[in-house]
Amino acid sequence: MFHKFDLGGVTHELWLAPTVNGYHLHILDGWSGPVAFAEEAAGHGSLTVAGTSKAVAFAVDGDVIHIHMRGRTRSLRYVDPLRALASVDGDDGHNVARAPMPGTVVALKVVPGDAVTAGTVLVVIESMKLETQIRASQDGIVERLHVKDGDSFDRDAILVTLSQGN
Amino acid sequence: MAAISFPFETVLIANRGEIAVRIIGSLRKLGLRAAIVYHEVDAATPAVALADVAFKISGRTPVSAYLDAEQIVTAARTVGAGALHPGYGFLSENAGFARAVTAAGIAFIGPSPEAIELMGDKIRARNFVERNGFPVAPSAIEESDPSTFLARARSVGAPLLVKPSAGGGGKGMRIVRDLDLLEDAVAQARSEGQRYFGDGRLYIERYVEKPRHIEVQVLGDAFGNVVHLFERECSVQRRFQKIIEETPSPALSAQMRQRICETAAGIARAAGYRNAGTVEFIFGGGEFYFLEMNTRLQVEHPVTEMITGVDLVAEQIAIAANRPLSFRQPDISAQGHAIEARLYAESPERGFSPTSGKVLMLDYPHEQGVRVDSGIAQGQSITTAFDPMLAKVIVHAPTRDAAVAKAIRAVKDVVLLGCETNAAFLARVLADAGFRSGEVHTGYLDENPTIASGIDGDPDEVTGLLAVAALVTRPVRDAADAVPALHAAIGDWRN
Repeated sequence: MFHKFDLGGVTHELWLAPTVNGYHLHILDGWSGPVAFAEEAAGHGSLTVAGTSKAVAFAVDGDVIHIHMRGRTRSLRYVDPLRALASVDGDDGHNVARAPMPGTVVALKVVPGDAVTAGTVLVVIESMKLETQIRASQDGIVERLHVKDGDSFDRDAILVTLSQGN
Repeated sequence: MAAISFPFETVLIANRGEIAVRIIGSLRKLGLRAAIVYHEVDAATPAVALADVAFKISGRTPVSAYLDAEQIVTAARTVGAGALHPGYGFLSENAGFARAVTAAGIAFIGPSPEAIELMGDKIRARNFVERNGFPVAPSAIEESDPSTFLARARSVGAPLLVKPSAGGGGKGMRIVRDLDLLEDAVAQARSEGQRYFGDGRLYIERYVEKPRHIEVQVLGDAFGNVVHLFERECSVQRRFQKIIEETPSPALSAQMRQRICETAAGIARAAGYRNAGTVEFIFGGGEFYFLEMNTRLQVEHPVTEMITGVDLVAEQIAIAANRPLSFRQPDISAQGHAIEARLYAESPERGFSPTSGKVLMLDYPHEQGVRVDSGIAQGQSITTAFDPMLAKVIVHAPTRDAAVAKAIRAVKDVVLLGCETNAAFLARVLADAGFRSGEVHTGYLDENPTIASGIDGDPDEVTGLLAVAALVTRPVRDAADAVPALHAAIGDWRN
C-alpha cells in the first residue's frame, strides 16, 4: 500500500517493506533500497540509507514531520489515506477558508448562519503589515468561525467553515 | 568593570526578545537587578523568565504596549528602577520618551533627548554634519536658489539621482548618468513629483553605484571623551532589512578604515554625543558619505564586541551612571573577524513571507567562538505580532575565510523545528561566491534572486527526508510490519 507525503507542495508516494535487518524503502518513480532509523534520544536519531548514516533531529506535530538533517530543516505532511478519502468521496457539504499566511484577525465579516455567495468577504486578516480579505470560494452558509478578533494563526489554519446549505 | 558601584540598583528593560536577554546578561555581570515590562503574549519568553522582576503592560496590540511611554514610566517607578535601557526599536529613539524617563528621576541609558532629536531629523542631521566639515553626498537643493539649480546640479557631477523634495518610496526618482539628459530628467521628475505629491520641487544628489553600507560604532561619555570601536559592514540587505553583518569590512583599505572611523568619532564629538551610537555611511567608488546616525544600540553590535572584547551594554550602563570611559582610543584594538547572521521567522523561498508555529525543538550550535543571542525557548509559539527576528548567530575567527566557514557551520547547526526559518538561506548567502569574495552591495540580493529562491531537487536529500518521514510515521511502519516477513523477504524479487 502506498503512503503519500507532501514536501514543499510536491506529493511523493512510497511504501516500506520489512527485511531481515530493517526496512526496504520504495519511492514511486524514485529510489528504492535499504533504510534504517535508530532513535537515540527523544527527537534525535541516526538515519542509514544504503549503508551511509546521518544524524537527524525530528519532531512530529500531528500529520506534520519536521526534520533537521545535513544542515537543513524541512517539513513534510503525511497525507492520511483515510482522511484524504473522506474529503474526496465524503462530499459532506463542507468547504473551509484557510489562512494563506500566518497573521492576525482584523475583522470578522460574517456570523454563523449567514448565507454567502462565492467572493463574499469572510474575514479580514493582517500579515506583514498588509490587510488581506479572505473570501468564500463558493456559495454556502457560514457554519463555524474558528477564530475571533485579534487571534493570531498559522499558515493553512482553518478560519471559517461553510456548509453548502442545500 | 565588575567592581564599580552604581547610583542605581535596578534597571528596567523597555524591550523584549533577544535584546532583553542580552541586556539582562550585562546587568547580571555588573551585579544589577533586571526588571522588564512585558505584554502577556510574551509571558512565556526567556527574557521574562530571566528578569528579577517583570511588570505586565497592555495595549490594543502587543506592539502598542511596548510603545506606551506612560505605562513604561509607571512600571519603572513601581519596580523602583533607577535607570532604563530602551534596547533598539520601540521607544529607543524617541526624544519625548527619553525626556519623560529623565523627568521621572530615572537615568535613560542612551544619549540626550537633544542628540536624539538632531539625528532623528534627517535634513538637520545632514546639514549639521556638512557644517562641521564631514562628507555628505554632494547635492543641490532647488529651493535654495531655483535660478542656479541646473548649474549647481551639473557641478555635482554624474551619476546623479534626481528626487522630488516631497518624495518618498522611490517615486519620481531618476538616475542620470549622462549630463546631456539632465534637463529631460528634471522635467520628468518635476511632473511626477507634481502628480504624486502635488509638489514639483526637486533635490539632486550624487548617485553611488553599487553602494555598500558601512557603519561605525562610537561611544561617548559625559566628560566629552569619544572613541570609535571600528566599523561594521552591513551590505547584505533585503529592502533595507540587514541580514548579515561583519567586521572588519572586506571593502576598506587600512587607510580608508581609519578615515571612516575617525570621521564617525568626529561627528559624535561635534554633536557632544553621550552613550553608544552608530554613524552610518554609504561607501562606493572609493568615497564615503554620511547617511545617518542611530542614537541607540544596534542589532548587530555583537560583531564589534567579538573583535574588541568590549561589552557595549555594560559601557552604556556605566556611561549612564556618569562614569568616564575606562579606555582611550589607543587602548581599543581589533582581533580577527566576526560575522553575524540574523535568524528570521520567514521563508525566503516563498518571497520572504512570514512564518509562524510552535517551537518543538530548539538546539543552538556549541562551538568555541560561536555566540547565539536568542530570545526564544522551546515550547514557545512564534506569531506575527512582532518583528520576525528570532535570534542572531555570531561567530569569531582569526580570518574572514575561517569566519565564513564557521558561520556556515553554525547556521546549519541551528535546529529549530516547528517554525520555518531563513537558516538555509543564510547558509546559501554565506556560501555564495560573491559574498565570499567580499563583492556585495546593498542591491546584491535583489540582483541575485536565486540565492533567496534556492534550488531544490537534491534527490539524495529528498530520499533521506522521505526515509525519515516513513520510518517515524506510525501508519506507514504499521503497514510494513503487517506484511509477513517471509513474503517481504522476497520483496525485491517481486519487482
